[in-house]
Amino acid sequence: MSNPPRTAPVRAVGAGAGFAAPPSARTTKKPANSILQTLQATEIIDSKPVLPAEIIATILDYLPVADLMRFARTSRRMREMVYDDTRWVARLRSMGCWDEAEARRRFEEAVMMRRKRDAAAASAGAGAGAGAGAGPNVGGRGGSVLPAAPPDAASLLFDAGLEEERRRRQLLLKQEQQRTMAVDVRDGFETMKVAGSPQVGSGGGDDPSRDPEALLKVLKGVKSARGHARQEYGKVYGALAPFYFDLVRAKSHTDPLVFKVFRDPERQAQMLANLRTFAKSDWAEGCLKREEKLDTMTSIFESAVLREFEQGYEFWDVDGRMKKYAHVLAVLNGSNAGAELFIQKHPIFSDREVLANPMDCVNQALADSITLEPSRRFFEVLTRKVDEQAGIIERIFPDPAKVFWAFVDKVREDIITEYATPLFDETHERSIPSYLRAVSGIFEQTLHFLRTLTPPKGGEAQQTDMARELALKVFEPHLDLYLQDELDEFTRQAEREVGEWEKKLSEQDASVESFYMGSFANRQADKKDFLTSFKKVVMMPVTVLPTTLGLPGLPLGSPFATSKASAAANTNGNNSLQTPSQQPSRTQSPAPSTAERSSSPLPGKAPTDELAAKAALMTSRLEGIKSLFSIEVALSLVHAAKASLGRIAVFIQLGGQAGGEAREQCLVIFVTLLRVLGNGHVKPGFDRAVAHLSQYNPREVSQHDRGGVAPLVTFIELVNVGDLISQMIDVFYEQQLAGPKIADRNDFMDPAGLAKKKFEQMLDESVAAGLNKGIDVLMDEVEYICATTQQPTDYNPGATGLDPASSSTTTTSTSSAEKRMTKSSGAVNMDIGPTPTAQRIRDLVASHTSMLVGSTDKSMLDVFNGEVGLRLFTAVCKHLKRQRISTEGAIKLIADMNLYFEYIRTLKNQDLLAYFKALRELSQIYLIDARHAKEMATIIADGDRFGGIFRAEEVYEYAERRADWYQVRKDVERAMYGLECNVM
Amino acid sequence: MSADKSTQRVTLTSNENTNIEVDRVVAERSMLIKNLIEDLGDDVTSAPIPIPNVNDPVLRKVVEWCEHHRNDAVQSADDDNDSRKKTTDIDEWDQKFMQVDQEMLFEIILAANYLDIKALLDVGCKTVANMIKGKSPEEIRKTFNITNDFTPEEEEQIRRENEWAEDR
Repeated sequence: MSNPPRTAPVRAVGAGAGFAAPPSARTTKKPANSILQTLQATEIIDSKPVLPAEIIATILDYLPVADLMRFARTSRRMREMVYDDTRWVARLRSMGCWDEAEARRRFEEAVMMRRKRDAAAASAGAGAGAGAGAGPNVGGRGGSVLPAAPPDAASLLFDAGLEEERRRRQLLLKQEQQRTMAVDVRDGFETMKVAGSPQVGSGGGDDPSRDPEALLKVLKGVKSARGHARQEYGKVYGALAPFYFDLVRAKSHTDPLVFKVFRDPERQAQMLANLRTFAKSDWAEGCLKREEKLDTMTSIFESAVLREFEQGYEFWDVDGRMKKYAHVLAVLNGSNAGAELFIQKHPIFSDREVLANPMDCVNQALADSITLEPSRRFFEVLTRKVDEQAGIIERIFPDPAKVFWAFVDKVREDIITEYATPLFDETHERSIPSYLRAVSGIFEQTLHFLRTLTPPKGGEAQQTDMARELALKVFEPHLDLYLQDELDEFTRQAEREVGEWEKKLSEQDASVESFYMGSFANRQADKKDFLTSFKKVVMMPVTVLPTTLGLPGLPLGSPFATSKASAAANTNGNNSLQTPSQQPSRTQSPAPSTAERSSSPLPGKAPTDELAAKAALMTSRLEGIKSLFSIEVALSLVHAAKASLGRIAVFIQLGGQAGGEAREQCLVIFVTLLRVLGNGHVKPGFDRAVAHLSQYNPREVSQHDRGGVAPLVTFIELVNVGDLISQMIDVFYEQQLAGPKIADRNDFMDPAGLAKKKFEQMLDESVAAGLNKGIDVLMDEVEYICATTQQPTDYNPGATGLDPASSSTTTTSTSSAEKRMTKSSGAVNMDIGPTPTAQRIRDLVASHTSMLVGSTDKSMLDVFNGEVGLRLFTAVCKHLKRQRISTEGAIKLIADMNLYFEYIRTLKNQDLLAYFKALRELSQIYLIDARHAKEMATIIADGDRFGGIFRAEEVYEYAERRADWYQVRKDVERAMYGLECNVM
Repeated sequence: MSADKSTQRVTLTSNENTNIEVDRVVAERSMLIKNLIEDLGDDVTSAPIPIPNVNDPVLRKVVEWCEHHRNDAVQSADDDNDSRKKTTDIDEWDQKFMQVDQEMLFEIILAANYLDIKALLDVGCKTVANMIKGKSPEEIRKTFNITNDFTPEEEEQIRRENEWAEDR
């Protein structure tokens, strides 16, 4: 068979190194006229097929190292292939001994050195004799990288005759290098060729085998230098291969050289570890079997060491055998087995002192309750024990942090979980509230336990994460159920609370609803006081734990709440205007017992009692509206919500998904609170109050002497309480949700924020609807008072028996007035104060408007006051048109109008004031004597005088109400419409 | 196309103009042929595919190997980067298959290389490596027809350089 022409597929084309290939087959980049190439091609016996270079390279990959080196001796070409640096770099890399960065750094250093040398050589060396001198010269350069290389060894290798060819070959190999490595490795390659080889041949191979200590460290001493990979690998191979192959050949575990050369276990372990690494660079045929053998030997050794460790363990020989063999194991394979054994057999897991009975928590408490004192003690003991072990672990193990956390994990699994789960199961069966307390409390204790551990050195950094992770592991199986139960329990409790209250209410006879007007004088002070107490309680951490763990991140008083409180304080002054109200018509039965009940869900002591007392006080004050809704109910709902939130909030610390779920549940609870409180409690109350208002008819009510419109008073009380609840919710939101970052105040999509807004909106709407009705009612009352109490003589006193001052001026009018007067009061006392009717009206309106101060927001109050004022104005005007007013009576009228004006002024509403100013001006037209009809006409026509409120025609109408109108009419009209001119 | 792929047959023509008909899946063990068919479409299967670099006995041998390994998973290109993966030992059938004279072995390797049949090439290389194992340099030269271009001193120098690798 003749040699067929072959075109090798162009893969990674190796440069001129084939067994024998015709030059025509080469399609590579190497120069076609290479001397070596042609030389070899001619020498080949053509009858045999030849293998291209890349196939030879592949074959070499499968050769064991010894054969590889023999192969290198067959020809130059083969040597180049075997010596190819990448081949050896790959082996070093497989052992994890090759550092690319280091290699690059070394290479760059070498380049620098070489340039310096080149410069020096160029200046010193003569042109002649360069060919002969080149060999040693180049060798010297190489020595710069590894200074140990003797230059004369290099000159042994090369003689001048071969120089030419060598250079050419170098060129070729350089090209190859450049293709295989992306960097210019020219210099590194050259140095390897020249200097590195002899060094390994003499020093590298011998030293480690002579010195057992060096053998142990051989892997650490490997340098990553390009062009020296083969030498470096040679060192390792020389040191380890004898042991390696010896071990593979060994029949029993006593045979291997490893165990003969090294007697102490540390070094044996080190050597075995080295061999395991070395085995990774062996990929010749059968390597898997060899590795298996090595593994077997290692595990025999490991179990022997482990036995020693165990014996040391049994004698608790911490600093002796345990420490020693733990380190041996660490050297061998990272100490896993030892640590596992240590943890597995640890006496703490059977320690009677540690293994407490979780049922103590249930048994030592009252029925259906739970005390966490035993669990606290349990964790205390556990903390002490584990800390103790931390010290021991630190003494034994070379990597204490890892072992310690593995140990804690085991403690978590075997002790804490075993403790917690039965407790949870038991309490869940017995009573849900104590289950909830147990889960939250044990969780907090667990977290505290994990956080207060003192891990050995190096373990502190991960403590927070580990604590979180381990706590999560304990509670993950319970968390979903717990969160759901918490919400269910809260909802149930809240709805039961509201339901009970409703039931109680319906049991009472609804008809005997008695309204009364509480002591308003001090309302805002009370409210502020109450809110302060409330805040105190809200701020108090959930004291499910007797220990003072304290929740991190519980906020101080929020600025919002305080500003509101101070605002309320500022408006306090207004209260002094109010008339002192009557005493409650029936005796109060303050309900301290019920108030106490509301505090029972909270274990906290002093502040709650204070709050309870205040709540009782408020309750007694607000008894009048107890049929509508109860602040006490609201308070106990908030308490329940707070307790739930406090319990859940500790889980938020877990972070991640579990923490997120806990956070969401907090929001859900808040939303539920608002839903139950708002829709279930407050809104029906408002609705009922509004219904009462709309049914009110002043004529059907017999008692008008109370000074207030009863349903309106009730309603305004209600507004007050509603506002109080709203503020309470606000404080609660700020401190429980926004403060600890459970809810985001700035996130408008936040469900808690939305619910809160909705609640406030609902409150506002109810208030607005009620006030709307309230104004109607109030005005009905005003009109009723006007109609029933205003005596005709008030503004038109009888002409007879007048005091001298007025009789002298009003002789004509009195006579006419006398005619119309049906009932003369005879001796009218002409004091110039306002009439009782006006006073009553003013008191009525004023008391109602001032009741609202501080209970709704200002804009709503302004609107309310404006409306009230305007309606009052209309009512007064209407009333005025029904009266007859004499000049004497005008004084009374003016006094009345002044009274109204003064009152309106307190409302601080300029627009409104204009109306009453006009009214005051208007009242003066009655004062003008009949003789001055002309002036009267001027006043009537003077639009500016009334600030545009009354037109001239309207004033004219009012003027008609003068008692002596028919006498002055002609004069006035004449003056007004210019008739005067005709007469004159 | 893929539906009748299993039953499709292709004809391969060696450099001696003899035709060998094989199942398409068998022929596609060769990446060269696989790519060829994929590039040229189904039409190519009707006409014989010339394999000009491979003579008849070698081609038959290669086809025999492909028939036996028709169901093997195709080796992905990434695999050959990891030197450890190459180390699986030659299985029994392949060992027997490779018991041919050296000339034939080389021809098979070259054909595998040309046809781009990775697994066969690997088996061939491993077989060659086993042939080299334990041989002296002189024996290796003889086996592989390598000309010694070293002086004895040079050869001795290389031996000394690599003394560390000697079997002990």
